[in-house]
Amino acid sequence: MTANYAYPDVLVSTDWVKENLGKSNIKLVEIDVDTKAYDAGHIPGAVGFNWQTQLQDQVRRDIISKEAFEKLVGAAGISPNDTVVVYGDNNNWFAAYGFWLFKIYGHQDLRLMNGGRVKWLNEPDKTLTTDKPNVIPVEYKASGLNIDLRAMVPLVFEASKGAWNLVDVRSPDEFTGKVIAPPGMSETAQRGGHIPNAKSIPWSTAVAPDGTFKPAEELRSIYIDQRGVDPKKQTIAYCRIGERSSHTWFVLKYLLGLENVRNYDGSWTEYGNLVGAPIEKA
Amino acid sequence: MIIPMDHGKRVYKDIFELLPNEQNPSPMVRINRMNPTPGFELYAKLEWMNPFGSVKDRAAWAMLRDLEERGEVNPKRGFVEPTSGNTGISLAAMARARGYHMRAVVPNKVPLEKKLLLKIAGAELDVISDELCPAPGLGDGSINLAKTHAKAQHERYAMPNQYENEKNVEAHFQTTGPEIWRQTDGRITHLFVSLGTCGTASGASKFLKGKKPDIKVIAVQPTEGHDVPGLRNVTQLGVSKLFDASLVDDILEVEFRLAYSRALELCQTEGLLAGPSSGLIYEGAREIILRDKQGLGVMIFPDNIFKYTSNMAKHIAGLMSGTQA
Repeated sequence: MTANYAYPDVLVSTDWVKENLGKSNIKLVEIDVDTKAYDAGHIPGAVGFNWQTQLQDQVRRDIISKEAFEKLVGAAGISPNDTVVVYGDNNNWFAAYGFWLFKIYGHQDLRLMNGGRVKWLNEPDKTLTTDKPNVIPVEYKASGLNIDLRAMVPLVFEASKGAWNLVDVRSPDEFTGKVIAPPGMSETAQRGGHIPNAKSIPWSTAVAPDGTFKPAEELRSIYIDQRGVDPKKQTIAYCRIGERSSHTWFVLKYLLGLENVRNYDGSWTEYGNLVGAPIEKA
Repeated sequence: MIIPMDHGKRVYKDIFELLPNEQNPSPMVRINRMNPTPGFELYAKLEWMNPFGSVKDRAAWAMLRDLEERGEVNPKRGFVEPTSGNTGISLAAMARARGYHMRAVVPNKVPLEKKLLLKIAGAELDVISDELCPAPGLGDGSINLAKTHAKAQHERYAMPNQYENEKNVEAHFQTTGPEIWRQTDGRITHLFVSLGTCGTASGASKFLKGKKPDIKVIAVQPTEGHDVPGLRNVTQLGVSKLFDASLVDDILEVEFRLAYSRALELCQTEGLLAGPSSGLIYEGAREIILRDKQGLGVMIFPDNIFKYTSNMAKHIAGLMSGTQA
């Protein structure tokens, strides 16, 4: 089923992960917003990263620095030549963000486990453990800085003039401005609505009921034919805090093979707070 | 000398003998002042009179007994269960009385009273950010966290899983349904229930419709985005494995705030200290009674108001005034 994706190797199945458990050059990383899930049980050998406290700078609002990334990943026993498989909670939103971060700092061989931790959990032949993995820390040197995977505000303003695809992956009510954030969410904004010229394509459009990605043909039909994402244009995906948009960024860049796709991790919690920024509603 | 147990004198050898069944049914009380149509007899079946305080005693006991009989629990291997409170409270108290441990995974929005009661009943508590009622499906909510515990520590936890366990339905087929049939001498025409795990609706309806196919089973649901613990909105029903659409004739959607105002009215008008889900069911029953005019209706009142004082304070304007010196 994965054969028709533009880059099929970046997506691995739960069965593939099971078959490759314990191989020394394959490192599993569970990335969750709530690491209670990791603590309660994870794939044998997986290390756990907390999206809020370990992948975000804890002082300013930003991704962690190159040095912090090297320290985190090295302490997890991961070498630049290892195959890293990420998976996580909430349909892999935070794992996709982790994937994006690993790519920003130039890690080469990176895979996302299709369906995330829920798929693994619900398959009878897959085991979970509370045992902490045996990790031997290593020196990790990031090979690069791929800032072209990230969109910052000036570029977003430019993109909103119409020459780019702007994909808003939030819920329809967030897009129209009926709500500023989903109920109960603490990160919010001063204004509701969306960036001018953005298209509303909720992140969940890309997944089947079991949480795995839809086949390539279906994704192409939805994003390009039905929703009007122009493959000839450059693309920016955004959401509220940059995690759901990482999921769509992964779809557009790796499953559909669009060139030059960026994740706007500032997303609505940045844009919706900017003084003077143009906003569209409804 | 031990006093001999005697149902007539209400002396029992242990708390489990108080669990409801056809011979020891939960009481049914007629609605008087709040019945809008005298031609329609309306009764509330008071499930809070069960020994652990709610309708969930029935499912919890059936699931516990099943796991015991299959040798799945012992003093080292207890329970883990996702719960919005009542099942967990019943299960924890039962488990501890039989020597098993219990871990309850609870959505954060469950009222504080219920969380404390779970601890008091002897449960270890996991509170997680989740929707109000544990929702099956892809979310990483309390159901999946409980499943994770059960899978990662199989030697420590058995998971009854009230959302998928047929024993939940069977409990109501074997107790709630026959009790109502006997208590109404077979005259029941309408059954009013709420939907959470859907065990009550499916089990009681299956029994009663088996006796009398034209009995109308009406499920009452809160509006989307509600704040009534334990209940499920109609949009979430597709994900409940115990829901059987062929056993429910009507699903009414009721503005959730009415659950609180009707509960207050039941307390202050009928002397029934009913919780918000009972208030919601009453509101649904009222609509149907005004429509159908004649019949005999039974409302399953799941629990009483005691666990919801903080929620009542949130939803009933002015309730807090005058409570401080």
